[in-house]
Amino acid sequence: MLKYTTGTTSRLMSHSKIYSLKGGSRSISPLLQKRHASTKSIRTQSLPPSASVDILNKQRLLRPTSPHLAIYKPQLTSVLSIGNRGVGGALSVLLYGSSIAYLFFPGTFDGDYLIELASGLPDYVKYTAKTILAAPLAFHALNGIRHLFWDVGKFMTLRGVYQTGYAVLAGTAVSTIVLVLL
Amino acid sequence: MSLLTRLARPSTSRAFSSSAARALATPVQQKSALNKEFKIYRWNPDEPAKKPTLQSYTVDLNQTGPMILDALIKIKNEMDPTLTFRRSCREGICGSCAMNIDGQNTLACLCRIDRNSSKDTKIYPLPHMYVVKDLVPDLTLFYKQYKSIKPYLQNPTPPEDGKEFLQSPEDRKKLDGMYECILCACCSTSCPSYWWNQDEYLGPATLMQAYRWIADSRDSHTAERKEVLQNEMSLYRCHTIFNCARTCPKGLNPALAIAKIKMELAAD
Repeated sequence: MLKYTTGTTSRLMSHSKIYSLKGGSRSISPLLQKRHASTKSIRTQSLPPSASVDILNKQRLLRPTSPHLAIYKPQLTSVLSIGNRGVGGALSVLLYGSSIAYLFFPGTFDGDYLIELASGLPDYVKYTAKTILAAPLAFHALNGIRHLFWDVGKFMTLRGVYQTGYAVLAGTAVSTIVLVLL
Repeated sequence: MSLLTRLARPSTSRAFSSSAARALATPVQQKSALNKEFKIYRWNPDEPAKKPTLQSYTVDLNQTGPMILDALIKIKNEMDPTLTFRRSCREGICGSCAMNIDGQNTLACLCRIDRNSSKDTKIYPLPHMYVVKDLVPDLTLFYKQYKSIKPYLQNPTPPEDGKEFLQSPEDRKKLDGMYECILCACCSTSCPSYWWNQDEYLGPATLMQAYRWIADSRDSHTAERKEVLQNEMSLYRCHTIFNCARTCPKGLNPALAIAKIKMELAAD
C-alpha cells in the first residue's frame, strides 16, 4: 500500500519508525526523542498503487512548457530556413495575388498600364520597389538550389551548410544589385 | 622543546597537505574574486500557480571549476540547495545534464563558462518540453518515440556456425557517427519542427537511431523499419533546418542520417 504523507516530514516518520523498533523510548537519544514527539501529529493516508499514476497525471496538467522561440539563439541554420519559408510565402502571395487580380481587373493590372504607371514615379521609389521585389526572389531561388543539393546528400555537413549558407547570402546580394540595375 | 610537546605535535614529515604555506618556496597568491551572474530558470511544482521565473546567482569563477555544471553544483551546494537539475557522469557521456545555455542546447558538463564577468549567462531547460521542476524536463515522450523504432537487432535467422552475425569493416563504418549518440535530447529539442509537432514527428535523435538500425547490415527487418516511417508526419516533418547538427554536443550529424533515410525511402 502506498503511504502518502504531506510535506517533508515523511522522512522523519521513517526514521522514528526504525528507532522505535529497538524497543522503548529509553533507547532513543534526546535529539531523536524531540523529532519523535513532533511527528506524532502527522497523519498518513493509505492509497492503492494505481493512485501514483493519478497523482502524476494531476501534476502533469500543471506543468509549464519551457520557453523556446523567445530564448533560443538565432543561428544561420534556423534563420535562413525560416527566411526561406517567409519569402516563399510572400512571393506566393504576390504571384497568386497578381494573377487573380489580373483575372478580375484586367484593365488596371494590364502590363502596359503598369509600366506607364511605374515610369512616372521618382527614381528612389523605383529602386526601392525593385530591391523589395528582387531580394526575396534571388534569395528564394538560390536557397532553393541549396535545398536541392541537400536532397541528393551534398553539403550535408555543418561546414557545408554554413559555407553554402554564406554563399547564398553573398549570391543574393550580388543578384539583387544586378537585378535592380537592369 | 620538551618530550611531551614533541609527541603532542602531529607528524608533519609525511602529509603533503600539512606543509604550511609559509614553508613553500614560492609565495601563495590569493586570486581576486571574478564574479559572474547566472540567471537560471526556476519553477516549483509545489507552488504550481507561481509563474516560472529567472533567478540570479553570483558565482566567483576563481573558486569554481571551468564548466557550467561546476557552477550549478557550487550554487546548489553553497547558495541554494533547492536548485534542481539532472547530472551524473560530469564528462559528457551520460547525457543527463542537457539544458539550454545562452540560447543553445548542450551538456552543462561540457560547456565552458564564459569568463567575461560583464555578461550574464542564462540557463534554461530544454526548449518546448514540459518542466518537472527548475531545469528538469519531462522526457517520457522522447523515450517512447525511441522505443517505437525498435532500437535492437532484429534477425530471426542465426548464422550458420551459430556464433556471431559477421560484418565487414566497410559495413561497420556505416554505423560510425550514429552509434555514439547518448540520447541527451539536445538535437530534438533544438528542432523548431519538433517544437510544433512533438506528438507526431519523431525528431532527429530518434530518426538517426532509426537509420542506425536501417543501415546495420546484420539487421534483416529493414523493410519493416522503413515502412514505419512511410507517412506524412514521422519523418517528413523534417525540413532540413539543421539546428540539430549545429547543437549536438557530441558533434554528430542527425540531419545527414535523416537525408539518407529520405533517399532510401524515395528509392522504394
